[in-house]
Formats: sequence, C-alpha cells, structure tokens
Amino acid sequence: MIARRHMHEYGTTPEQLAEVAVASRRWAALNERALRREPLTIEGVLASPMIVDPLHRHDCCLVTDGAGAIVVCSEPRASGCAHPPVWVLAHATAHEHHAIASMPNLTTSTAAARSGREALAMAGIHIEEIDVVELYDSFTITVLMTLEALGLCAPGEGGAFVEGGRIAPGGDLALNTNGGGLSYCHPGMYGIYLLTEAVRQLRGEAGPAQVPNARLGLAHGTGGVLSTAATVVLGAADG
Amino acid sequence: MADLDLQPFWRGVERGELLAQRCLACGRRVFYPRAVCPACGAPRLAWEATSGSGQVHAYTIVHRAPPGFEDDTPYAVGLVVVDDDVRLVARLVDCDPQAVRVGMRVRLAPRALAEGTIAPCFAPTEVA
Repeated sequence: MIARRHMHEYGTTPEQLAEVAVASRRWAALNERALRREPLTIEGVLASPMIVDPLHRHDCCLVTDGAGAIVVCSEPRASGCAHPPVWVLAHATAHEHHAIASMPNLTTSTAAARSGREALAMAGIHIEEIDVVELYDSFTITVLMTLEALGLCAPGEGGAFVEGGRIAPGGDLALNTNGGGLSYCHPGMYGIYLLTEAVRQLRGEAGPAQVPNARLGLAHGTGGVLSTAATVVLGAADG
Repeated sequence: MADLDLQPFWRGVERGELLAQRCLACGRRVFYPRAVCPACGAPRLAWEATSGSGQVHAYTIVHRAPPGFEDDTPYAVGLVVVDDDVRLVARLVDCDPQAVRVGMRVRLAPRALAEGTIAPCFAPTEVA
C-alpha cells in the first residue's frame, strides 16, 4: 500500500522499483555467498509473478536461512585483535507508529529520518560523505523510502534517483553491496548483514564488490511496518 | 487498567455500523479502539457511530494470500479513511480489484471472510 501511495503521490513507476532489484542482483553477482546471482533485468522483475500488487516476486526479499555475528569491544582491546577494527562512530534509533493504519504519512518514514539525522549528527558528518550505504530492503519500495528519509535524495524522488543503474556496481552510490535481502539472503532478521557488509567494505575485504577507498559506512535497519529504524555510522581503522 | 471491551464494536459491524470512540476527557476521536486515550491517557472513552463512508487512501491487490485466504485471490485490501479521522485496513468488496483506485469513495459493507468473523469490509459507493 505504501508503494501504491508513493506511485499515486509522486508518479513512481514499477520500472523504478525494479531498478532496485536489478541493482541488488548485480551486486550479488559479485558476492560468491549470495543465493541469487543470475542476471536479472527490469523486464524480468516485471514479468515475475505478482505477490501483492504493485510488488512482484522480485520486488520482495528472499526467504533463506542464515546467521551472522559481530564482536564489539573497547578501543584498547581492539588494538590486539587479528583484524583492524572498524570504529562505531555513531548510532541512533527511533520508532513511529504501531499499525500501518496509524502511519501519519504513508510515503514518509519519520522514524528513519530521525535516526538517520541523529546518527549523522553524532558522527559529525553529512550523508554525502558516506562511501558505502547498507540499508534494509524488505521490498524495493523500502529502499526508495529509506533513501528519501536519509536525505540521499529529496522526498518523492527515490524512483528517479535509482534510475540508470545509479545504485548498481559502478554507479554514483554504493548501496547494498552484498546484494541485500533481495538477492544475497534474508533469514528474517536481516540487520546483522547490514553491519557485516559495512565492516567488510571498511576493512577492504569485500572482494570483487569492494568499493575503492571506502572510509565511512552507514548501516540502516528498518523494522515493524516501516515504523522502527536504527542507523549506525562506521569508520575505517585509519580513516 | 481497564480491559477493553470490543463487543460494542463487533455488534456494530454486524448491524452495519462502524463505531469509533471519543475521549470524554479531551474530546479526541480514537480509532483503533483503545482502553485509554492515546492523546491524554484518560480511561473514559465512549463509543459513537461514524458515517461508515470514506475513501481509499491506498490499496494493494493480494495475489499471494496468507493461510486461509488462498481461495479469495486476487482480492483488494485498502487503507480506508472514514470521516477524515478514522483509518483502518479493510478488504474491499463488490468490485473488480483491478478497478480500485486511490481516492475511490467507499462505504461499510460487513462481510463474513474466510475465518468466519463478520469483518468491516468496504464497497464502492458507485460502481466503477
């Protein structure tokens, strides 16, 4: 319903939503751990079975098993570890409505806007300075909503923003560089993968998907019914 | 804290009325039903009838249904706004799902859905 309302208010198209899935698949092709790595086109997304109109199967995240873990420790303890640390520069959380009918504005994620704003303020940086962005992609519309909420584009312009492979490998914005929940994996609680992928990128361990000179990373999780948000800003060891 | 008695709401649906609550302390219209007013915290809420008429704010057409509703697909579900201040998610009935539009006028049309409960569904005011 959020996707439908976004289309109604801003003219967002199924093709623009499909761009998100196509970009994720191209990143997944660079990730040997990803479940779905075969090529995917916009036409392929639109031809996949409708799940909840206007979202096709390829607009929806995968259903997989999986697990992840991170080790958080003090700065002195980190100095003796096997790998260089990635610094937690900032974190923030926010929550908004309970039920979707109570969401004040279907096309604006107030929670994501707040946690993003507060985390960036804590880190003392602007969103434009972030080198790699990992954000939750339950559905393709979730990505557009979050791009807008974080200020990576103006409200309503998420669809136009992702056109032309802008968030695909080689595009202007390195986004969901592991292939995301849409193509990498999605074991229900996807958030840990946002952090592990951001850490890989900031350690220079992302292999073919490595973003050159990635110094600052942002991980953003979404929960509830687009109602809870958590943002973490991470920095590379010597950055 | 007082338990919320939903019987008035469901009896209303059965007779074709959509009931909301009004806070007797601050006067605010409350929906979904609550035990206490979410605005001022007062525990005194009175049931009152809405017009039962509103419009579709957003909608989806379900092709892959949750368990128990598979036989109904494809069906439309809308976020319906009644009287400008009552918002609820409801099945849209008596119309081709593909004909549903944002802004479409609808009225309460209670219907027994798959699980047997008489649910507050909505139907177009004018056939599209």
